Amino acid sequence: MGGKCPHRNVKKRRYSHKTARRTKFELKGDDMVYAQLNKPDEEKTPLPVDEDLPGMGQYYCLHCDRYFSNVTVRDEHFKTKRHKKRVKQMMGPAPHTQLDADLAAGMGMPDNGPKLMSM
Amino acid sequence: MRLEKCWFCSSTVYPGHGIQFVRNDAKIFRFCRSKCHKNFKMKRNPRKVKWTKAYRRVHGKDMTQDSTFEFERKRNRPERYDRNLAESVLKAIPKIDKIRVTREERHHKNRMKGNKEKLLKEAVKELEQGISLVKAPSVLQQDPSLTLPKIKVKVSQQQSEETPAMEE
Repeated sequence: MGGKCPHRNVKKRRYSHKTARRTKFELKGDDMVYAQLNKPDEEKTPLPVDEDLPGMGQYYCLHCDRYFSNVTVRDEHFKTKRHKKRVKQMMGPAPHTQLDADLAAGMGMPDNGPKLMSM
Repeated sequence: MRLEKCWFCSSTVYPGHGIQFVRNDAKIFRFCRSKCHKNFKMKRNPRKVKWTKAYRRVHGKDMTQDSTFEFERKRNRPERYDRNLAESVLKAIPKIDKIRVTREERHHKNRMKGNKEKLLKEAVKELEQGISLVKAPSVLQQDPSLTLPKIKVKVSQQQSEETPAMEE
Protein backbone atom coordinates (compact mmCIF):
# COMPACT_ATOMS: atom_id res chain seq x y z
CA MET A 1 0.00 0.00 0.00
CA GLY A 2 1.27 3.40 -0.90
CA GLY A 3 1.15 6.58 1.08
CA LYS A 4 2.17 7.54 4.54
CA CYS A 5 0.15 7.26 7.66
CA PRO A 6 -0.07 9.79 10.42
CA HIS A 7 1.84 8.59 13.43
CA ARG A 8 0.68 10.21 16.62
CA ASN A 9 3.86 9.67 18.61
CA VAL A 10 6.12 11.73 16.37
CA LYS A 11 4.98 15.34 16.55
CA LYS A 12 7.08 16.60 13.65
CA ARG A 13 5.78 14.10 11.18
CA ARG A 14 2.03 14.03 11.16
CA TYR A 15 0.93 13.10 7.71
CA SER A 16 -2.56 14.17 8.44
CA HIS A 17 -2.72 16.36 5.39
CA LYS A 18 -4.47 14.75 2.48
CA THR A 19 -1.63 15.40 0.03
CA ALA A 20 0.72 13.22 2.08
CA ARG A 21 -1.64 10.31 1.85
CA ARG A 22 -2.85 10.87 -1.69
CA THR A 23 -1.06 7.88 -3.22
CA LYS A 24 -2.98 5.64 -0.86
CA PHE A 25 -6.31 6.79 -2.26
CA GLU A 26 -5.17 6.54 -5.85
CA LEU A 27 -4.25 2.88 -5.59
CA LYS A 28 -6.46 0.36 -7.30
CA GLY A 29 -8.95 -1.48 -5.16
CA ASP A 30 -8.11 -5.00 -4.02
CA ASP A 31 -10.87 -6.55 -6.10
CA MET A 32 -9.62 -4.81 -9.26
CA VAL A 33 -6.09 -6.11 -8.71
CA TYR A 34 -7.44 -9.57 -7.96
CA ALA A 35 -9.48 -9.57 -11.17
CA GLN A 36 -6.44 -8.44 -13.15
CA LEU A 37 -4.29 -11.21 -11.70
CA ASN A 38 -6.83 -13.94 -12.30
CA LYS A 39 -7.47 -13.03 -15.91
CA PRO A 40 -6.77 -15.82 -18.42
CA ASP A 41 -3.50 -15.38 -20.30
CA GLU A 42 -5.17 -14.70 -23.66
CA GLU A 43 -6.84 -11.55 -22.38
CA LYS A 44 -3.66 -10.04 -21.00
CA THR A 45 -2.49 -7.18 -23.20
CA PRO A 46 1.02 -5.72 -23.31
CA LEU A 47 1.50 -2.54 -21.29
CA PRO A 48 0.69 0.57 -23.31
CA VAL A 49 3.46 3.18 -23.72
CA ASP A 50 2.63 6.23 -21.61
CA GLU A 51 5.19 9.01 -21.43
CA ASP A 52 3.64 10.48 -18.29
CA LEU A 53 4.38 7.37 -16.23
CA PRO A 54 7.79 6.36 -14.88
CA GLY A 55 9.73 4.27 -17.40
CA MET A 56 7.09 4.95 -20.09
CA GLY A 57 4.73 2.70 -18.10
CA GLN A 58 6.63 -0.42 -19.13
CA TYR A 59 7.77 -1.65 -15.71
CA TYR A 60 4.67 -2.35 -13.72
CA CYS A 61 3.95 -4.37 -10.62
CA LEU A 62 0.48 -5.89 -10.92
CA HIS A 63 0.13 -6.76 -7.26
CA CYS A 64 1.05 -3.36 -5.84
CA ASP A 65 -0.25 -1.22 -8.76
CA ARG A 66 3.04 0.65 -9.13
CA TYR A 67 5.14 1.77 -12.07
CA PHE A 68 8.94 1.70 -12.00
CA SER A 69 11.57 3.50 -14.05
CA ASN A 70 13.52 0.41 -15.08
CA VAL A 71 13.87 -3.34 -14.66
CA THR A 72 16.41 -3.22 -11.83
CA VAL A 73 14.25 -0.98 -9.67
CA ARG A 74 11.28 -3.21 -10.29
CA ASP A 75 13.22 -6.33 -9.42
CA GLU A 76 14.39 -4.61 -6.23
CA HIS A 77 10.75 -3.95 -5.45
CA PHE A 78 9.90 -7.63 -5.96
CA LYS A 79 12.30 -8.43 -3.11
CA THR A 80 10.65 -6.09 -0.63
CA LYS A 81 8.57 -7.21 2.32
CA ARG A 82 5.61 -5.08 1.29
CA HIS A 83 5.45 -6.70 -2.15
CA LYS A 84 5.73 -10.21 -0.72
CA LYS A 85 2.98 -9.45 1.75
CA ARG A 86 0.79 -8.22 -1.06
CA VAL A 87 1.47 -11.32 -3.19
CA LYS A 88 0.51 -13.52 -0.26
CA GLN A 89 -2.68 -11.55 0.26
CA MET A 90 -3.61 -11.90 -3.41
CA MET A 91 -3.01 -15.66 -3.32
CA GLY A 92 -5.65 -15.99 -0.60
CA PRO A 93 -9.44 -15.84 -0.85
CA ALA A 94 -11.13 -13.39 -3.20
CA PRO A 95 -11.66 -9.88 -1.82
CA HIS A 96 -14.97 -8.85 -0.28
CA THR A 97 -17.68 -7.90 -2.77
CA GLN A 98 -21.24 -6.62 -2.65
CA LEU A 99 -22.46 -10.19 -3.21
CA ASP A 100 -20.60 -11.32 -0.08
CA ALA A 101 -22.19 -8.46 1.83
CA ASP A 102 -25.65 -9.49 0.62
CA LEU A 103 -25.10 -13.14 1.53
CA ALA A 104 -23.84 -12.18 4.97
CA ALA A 105 -26.98 -10.12 5.48
CA GLY A 106 -29.08 -13.26 5.13
CA MET A 107 -30.06 -12.89 1.47
CA GLY A 108 -30.05 -15.73 -1.01
CA MET A 109 -28.24 -15.78 -4.33
CA PRO A 110 -29.69 -13.31 -6.86
CA ASP A 111 -32.60 -14.68 -8.86
CA ASN A 112 -32.40 -13.73 -12.50
CA GLY A 113 -35.34 -15.83 -13.61
CA PRO A 114 -35.44 -18.32 -16.44
CA LYS A 115 -33.36 -17.63 -19.51
CA LEU A 116 -35.55 -15.91 -22.09
CA MET A 117 -33.45 -16.71 -25.15
CA SER A 118 -32.45 -20.31 -25.75
CA MET A 119 -28.97 -20.43 -27.16
CA MET B 1 -38.02 0.41 -4.45
CA ARG B 2 -35.07 -1.65 -3.42
CA LEU B 3 -33.52 -1.76 0.03
CA GLU B 4 -29.86 -2.39 -0.64
CA LYS B 5 -27.32 -3.80 1.77
CA CYS B 6 -24.34 -1.87 3.03
CA TRP B 7 -21.09 -2.98 1.37
CA PHE B 8 -19.17 -2.92 4.63
CA CYS B 9 -21.46 -4.06 7.43
CA SER B 10 -24.31 -5.71 5.42
CA SER B 11 -27.04 -3.77 7.18
CA THR B 12 -29.98 -2.46 5.21
CA VAL B 13 -29.60 1.00 3.68
CA TYR B 14 -32.93 2.77 3.89
CA PRO B 15 -33.88 5.59 1.52
CA GLY B 16 -32.34 8.89 2.50
CA HIS B 17 -29.61 7.25 4.54
CA GLY B 18 -25.96 6.61 3.92
CA ILE B 19 -23.81 7.39 0.94
CA GLN B 20 -23.02 5.74 -2.38
CA PHE B 21 -19.63 5.61 -4.05
CA VAL B 22 -19.32 4.85 -7.76
CA ARG B 23 -15.80 3.86 -8.73
CA ASN B 24 -14.41 4.76 -12.12
CA ASP B 25 -15.01 1.19 -13.31
CA ALA B 26 -18.77 1.74 -12.63
CA LYS B 27 -18.83 -0.50 -9.55
CA ILE B 28 -21.25 0.75 -6.92
CA PHE B 29 -20.45 0.73 -3.21
CA ARG B 30 -23.24 1.60 -0.80
CA PHE B 31 -22.67 2.50 2.82
CA CYS B 32 -25.27 2.73 5.57
CA ARG B 33 -23.48 5.42 7.58
CA SER B 34 -20.28 7.39 7.69
CA LYS B 35 -18.69 4.78 9.96
CA CYS B 36 -18.81 2.21 7.18
CA HIS B 37 -17.73 4.72 4.55
CA LYS B 38 -14.70 5.75 6.60
CA ASN B 39 -13.73 2.15 7.19
CA PHE B 40 -13.93 1.54 3.45
CA LYS B 41 -11.72 4.55 2.75
CA MET B 42 -9.20 3.17 5.22
CA LYS B 43 -9.15 0.07 2.99
CA ARG B 44 -10.18 -2.20 5.83
CA ASN B 45 -11.30 -5.71 5.08
CA PRO B 46 -14.84 -6.31 6.40
CA ARG B 47 -13.93 -9.94 7.02
CA LYS B 48 -11.39 -8.81 9.59
CA VAL B 49 -13.48 -6.17 11.34
CA LYS B 50 -15.31 -7.80 14.21
CA TRP B 51 -18.54 -5.84 14.17
CA THR B 52 -19.47 -6.60 10.55
CA LYS B 53 -21.81 -9.35 9.43
CA ALA B 54 -19.12 -10.67 7.08
CA TYR B 55 -16.82 -11.32 10.04
CA ARG B 56 -19.56 -13.01 12.03
CA ARG B 57 -20.37 -15.24 9.06
CA VAL B 58 -16.79 -16.26 8.42
CA HIS B 59 -16.09 -17.03 12.07
CA GLY B 60 -19.23 -19.06 12.70
CA LYS B 61 -20.84 -16.56 15.07
CA ASP B 62 -24.06 -16.37 13.08
CA MET B 63 -26.19 -18.99 11.41
CA THR B 64 -24.95 -19.45 7.84
CA GLN B 65 -26.96 -22.14 6.12
CA ASP B 66 -30.67 -22.00 6.55
CA SER B 67 -33.76 -22.35 4.39
CA THR B 68 -35.18 -19.07 5.72
CA PHE B 69 -32.44 -17.19 3.89
CA GLU B 70 -33.90 -18.23 0.56
CA PHE B 71 -36.79 -15.77 0.71
CA GLU B 72 -35.01 -12.44 0.71
CA ARG B 73 -32.97 -12.12 -2.45
CA LYS B 74 -32.32 -9.78 -5.31
CA ARG B 75 -34.85 -10.62 -8.01
CA ASN B 76 -33.77 -9.24 -11.34
CA ARG B 77 -37.04 -9.85 -13.13
CA PRO B 78 -40.28 -7.95 -12.94
CA GLU B 79 -43.14 -9.52 -11.06
CA ARG B 80 -46.66 -8.77 -12.26
CA TYR B 81 -48.82 -7.45 -9.43
CA ASP B 82 -51.23 -10.02 -8.05
CA ARG B 83 -53.44 -9.03 -5.13
CA ASN B 84 -53.79 -12.58 -3.77
CA LEU B 85 -50.08 -13.21 -3.98
CA ALA B 86 -49.29 -9.94 -2.24
CA GLU B 87 -51.70 -10.80 0.56
CA SER B 88 -50.26 -14.25 1.11
CA VAL B 89 -46.74 -12.83 1.08
CA LEU B 90 -47.68 -10.29 3.72
CA LYS B 91 -49.13 -13.09 5.80
CA ALA B 92 -46.06 -15.26 5.40
CA ILE B 93 -43.48 -12.61 6.30
CA PRO B 94 -44.08 -12.58 10.09
CA LYS B 95 -44.24 -16.37 10.19
CA ILE B 96 -40.93 -16.78 8.40
CA ASP B 97 -39.41 -14.10 10.56
CA LYS B 98 -40.49 -15.91 13.69
CA ILE B 99 -39.00 -19.18 12.46
CA ARG B 100 -35.73 -17.43 11.62
CA VAL B 101 -35.51 -15.81 15.03
CA THR B 102 -36.09 -19.10 16.87
CA ARG B 103 -33.49 -20.84 14.73
CA GLU B 104 -31.00 -18.08 15.38
CA GLU B 105 -31.64 -18.37 19.09
CA ARG B 106 -31.06 -22.09 18.90
CA HIS B 107 -27.81 -21.54 17.01
CA HIS B 108 -26.65 -19.07 19.66
CA LYS B 109 -27.57 -21.49 22.43
CA ASN B 110 -25.62 -24.28 20.76
CA ARG B 111 -22.65 -22.00 20.29
CA MET B 112 -22.65 -20.98 23.94
CA LYS B 113 -22.98 -24.56 25.17
CA GLY B 114 -20.26 -25.47 27.62
CA ASN B 115 -19.30 -21.87 28.27
CA LYS B 116 -20.64 -21.87 31.81
CA GLU B 117 -18.59 -24.87 32.89
CA LYS B 118 -15.50 -23.37 31.30
CA LEU B 119 -15.96 -20.05 33.08
CA LEU B 120 -16.55 -21.80 36.40
CA LYS B 121 -13.43 -23.89 35.96
CA GLU B 122 -11.36 -20.82 35.15
CA ALA B 123 -12.75 -18.95 38.15
CA VAL B 124 -11.94 -21.85 40.48
CA LYS B 125 -8.41 -22.04 39.14
CA GLU B 126 -7.88 -18.31 39.53
CA LEU B 127 -9.13 -18.45 43.09
CA GLU B 128 -6.85 -21.33 43.96
CA GLN B 129 -3.83 -19.62 42.46
CA GLY B 130 -4.58 -16.15 43.78
CA ILE B 131 -5.79 -16.91 47.31
CA SER B 132 -2.38 -15.87 48.63
CA LEU B 133 -3.12 -12.30 47.50
CA VAL B 134 -6.15 -12.17 49.78
CA LYS B 135 -4.82 -14.24 52.68
CA ALA B 136 -1.19 -14.88 53.53
CA PRO B 137 -0.19 -18.56 53.27
CA SER B 138 1.06 -18.63 56.88
CA VAL B 139 -2.34 -17.50 58.18
CA LEU B 140 -4.03 -20.19 56.13
CA GLN B 141 -1.76 -22.81 57.71
CA GLN B 142 -2.53 -21.59 61.22
CA ASP B 143 -6.28 -21.60 60.74
CA PRO B 144 -7.24 -24.47 58.47
CA SER B 145 -10.88 -23.35 58.48
CA LEU B 146 -9.92 -20.58 56.10
CA THR B 147 -8.72 -22.95 53.38
CA LEU B 148 -10.71 -23.28 50.22
CA PRO B 149 -13.52 -25.81 50.23
CA LYS B 150 -13.38 -28.68 47.79
CA ILE B 151 -16.94 -28.15 46.59
CA LYS B 152 -16.97 -26.11 43.44
CA VAL B 153 -20.41 -24.58 43.93
CA LYS B 154 -19.54 -22.79 47.13
CA VAL B 155 -16.54 -21.03 45.59
CA SER B 156 -18.14 -17.63 45.07
CA GLN B 157 -19.62 -17.65 48.59
CA GLN B 158 -16.28 -18.34 50.21
CA GLN B 159 -14.66 -15.45 48.36
CA SER B 160 -17.20 -12.92 49.59
CA GLU B 161 -16.61 -14.00 53.17
CA GLU B 162 -12.89 -13.58 52.95
CA THR B 163 -12.76 -10.07 51.53
CA PRO B 164 -13.90 -8.26 54.71
CA ALA B 165 -11.33 -10.26 56.67
CA MET B 166 -8.58 -8.55 54.70
CA GLU B 167 -9.78 -5.07 55.63
CA GLU B 168 -9.43 -5.66 59.35
